[in-house]
Amino acid sequence: MHVPAAGRATFERFCELRHSFILHMLFNSLEFAIYFPIVTAIYFLVPQVWRVRWLLAASCVFYMAFIPAYILILLATILIDYTAGIYIGKLSGGKRKAVLWVSIVSTCLVLGVFKYFDFLTNSAASLAGWFGWNVPPVVTGWILPIGLSFHTFQSLSYVAEVYFGRQEPERDFIVYATYVMFFPQLVAGPIERPQNLLHQFRECYQLRYRDVTGGLQRMAWGFFKKLVVADRLALYVNDVYAAPSNYNGLQLTIATLFFAYQIYCDFSGYSDIAIGAAQVMGFRLMENFRTPYASLSVSEFWRRWHISLSTWFKDYVYVPLGGSRAGATRHACNLLITFAISGLWHGANWTFVCWGLLNGLYLVAGSFTKEWRDRLFAAIGLGPATLGRKGIMRATTFLLICLAWIIFRAQTLQDAAYVVTHLANGWDFSAIATPHFLLRQMPVAIAAIAALELGQSWQRASSFTNVIRQWPMPVRWTAYAAFVMAVMLFGVYRGTEFIYFQF
Amino acid sequence: MELNSSTSSSSEGKLVVSRVGGFLAIVALLTFALDAAITAGLRRLPASPFGITNRIVEGTINANIVISGSSRAASHYDPRIIQKMTGEKAFNLGRNGSQTDMQLAVLKAYLKHNRKPAIVVHNLDAFTFQTTREVYNPAQYVPYLRENDLYQPLRKINPQIWKSRYLPLYGYVAEDMSFAWIRGLRAFLPGQQSNELIDGYDPRPAKWTEDFARYKTTLRAPVRWDIEPEGIRLMEDLVRVCREHGIGLIFVYSPEYREMQLLTANRTDVFAAFQRVASGVVPIWDYSAWPHANDSSYFNNSQHLNEIGATTFSTDFAKRLRQYLEARDPELRAAR
Repeated sequence: MHVPAAGRATFERFCELRHSFILHMLFNSLEFAIYFPIVTAIYFLVPQVWRVRWLLAASCVFYMAFIPAYILILLATILIDYTAGIYIGKLSGGKRKAVLWVSIVSTCLVLGVFKYFDFLTNSAASLAGWFGWNVPPVVTGWILPIGLSFHTFQSLSYVAEVYFGRQEPERDFIVYATYVMFFPQLVAGPIERPQNLLHQFRECYQLRYRDVTGGLQRMAWGFFKKLVVADRLALYVNDVYAAPSNYNGLQLTIATLFFAYQIYCDFSGYSDIAIGAAQVMGFRLMENFRTPYASLSVSEFWRRWHISLSTWFKDYVYVPLGGSRAGATRHACNLLITFAISGLWHGANWTFVCWGLLNGLYLVAGSFTKEWRDRLFAAIGLGPATLGRKGIMRATTFLLICLAWIIFRAQTLQDAAYVVTHLANGWDFSAIATPHFLLRQMPVAIAAIAALELGQSWQRASSFTNVIRQWPMPVRWTAYAAFVMAVMLFGVYRGTEFIYFQF
Repeated sequence: MELNSSTSSSSEGKLVVSRVGGFLAIVALLTFALDAAITAGLRRLPASPFGITNRIVEGTINANIVISGSSRAASHYDPRIIQKMTGEKAFNLGRNGSQTDMQLAVLKAYLKHNRKPAIVVHNLDAFTFQTTREVYNPAQYVPYLRENDLYQPLRKINPQIWKSRYLPLYGYVAEDMSFAWIRGLRAFLPGQQSNELIDGYDPRPAKWTEDFARYKTTLRAPVRWDIEPEGIRLMEDLVRVCREHGIGLIFVYSPEYREMQLLTANRTDVFAAFQRVASGVVPIWDYSAWPHANDSSYFNNSQHLNEIGATTFSTDFAKRLRQYLEARDPELRAAR
């Protein structure tokens, strides 16, 4: 299957339009650099009773910087789920369940119409074409509201938690609206749970030096990931994946490895900035990434990658389907269904569905072959804790994940197939550069990845923020200033949006 | 208790403002200092487009024959040959990736700081009447944004250019992908950087590249170059500027690979527009039928001659220019 041409054209138009809107309030924009300190300063200056209102107003401004009218859609879903939460708290039995379903269906309807309608009609038209029926697809061409998938899932999480009795319904509309719209995590998560975030809007946070510096450090690390690593690698990846057949096997391999780092740094960089920005104001958001490429298995990878989404799917899809409790075959089906939906959540394209299914297959295969692999390692003398075994497992996991990223990044399944089948073909070391990534950028890109890995290993070994805190102030400040200057000088500032914004 | 909390909050607030504010002030100072150092470094470079612009704004060129135009101008005219054959000091202002708007800007900056030349040779392209959508290698202009002749056209193309002018480092990091800032800082280190441009001339390697073959695969229909009213106006402005300064102007359409000429659908329209702009006053020397225009061994790609082609063309052109100068100036002929 492939994305029909009409669908692709719509997608391209959407990308163009979104690009023209989105530049206004990206975390890596000058506008945000002005907006954030002002919002934070006023947040701490106004009396406590006004703080949540101020945050809501600031979040509205942030959201409206993209497409102002779309705030009405967000408002509608907020109203629906807010009301549903109250009624679920009041009602019992079938009525309670009915309200839950009304809330889920209406919230998902918005997501469906904006995100999947064109995809479904295009796919249906393609399917009809296979049977010889000429059915033109109905294409809306609507632009996807920014972060729709994220705040939809956050809203659904609230309604579900209220239904399961794990969360009291929120009666204050302002607080609930702020929970959905809290600007640091509005457009790309982390997808918060009401138990973690909702109560924080009632607390009176004082301006704390440690929070501010910790938050700013976290933001700086996020900017490093986004500007220095992700956006530099994107120059290469975008060139190669735009027309894979124009590049040799070495370039395809480099682009694939680069994409693994690009998407990680892009998304985890966003999460770091979001978590850091919230921390400056005293809020604690959940961790979204825990060095996923250090995982020893694909299942571990999914416990470390986009944790807020993985746990969402686990809690609200995988477990309700029966999880691993209902026999091996059913367990495998549950995994495949969960990952297929997760793939579809990432985008209305068959590449994403296949990417999700492939990850599901990895997990199914992993659980079926576990004993066999343990025996194999034992036979060659590699015990569970040996470095050799860990190295093999880590490398295998990384390669499997990279293979899946090819499907994720390719524009079509045909492109993905081309990349996979040509990775080993015609390596030409004299032709590594691409039109937008000259060879002189390669050392910077490699050094950026090395610095990232070094920073992460340091952080794993000993929390380096705590270590740095022990340093004398002049040394500490010199280190901070050098880091900030390095991000400034080696960053790429082309107004590139965060990859996960489109989901 | 409440009082304690309020006092501690206030002292924390002061700590945040003083420490974070102090740190940001240091970063801001560093940013300004680094920006100044990079600019100073780039402005002392003898090599690259920076070296050329440095010589322009320092007024140290003062040539009698000035060549202006795009990368085709930069790579087609060897000032050494022109100077040798005409006896007049020549300099090439050709800019890679530039359109008429920026070519005119560079020429105006040149005329402001240097002695007026006797002749401006403006090299024409099929895309002469198209204006710039995106400035090529914008960092090359950043150290000179205080020059209004350069700044105003840049602002017209990119209204955000003010950020590069007023925000320290912005032009070097946000708008530049070529690490020009490293070049600026390296200028303070001992050891001269090699000068890849010879009086503005940018010779291209002899090898015929695959560019044209690749380009042809992307073509679905013959090429049509826009003739924009703004492009016409800019060319008329060029004629006006030269006339006002009493400078002789020659339009030259330097050699273009023959196959590419045939792929251009509206070539006749473009040349008719050249004629209209020249309005019988400015001579147009068309080298479309250059004897080697069919021979790829003289070219680097469809638009650019290689070093061998440029030497041959510069010799042909210089001979004609010498005759033209002698015809224009009998005293010059007598002196020779």
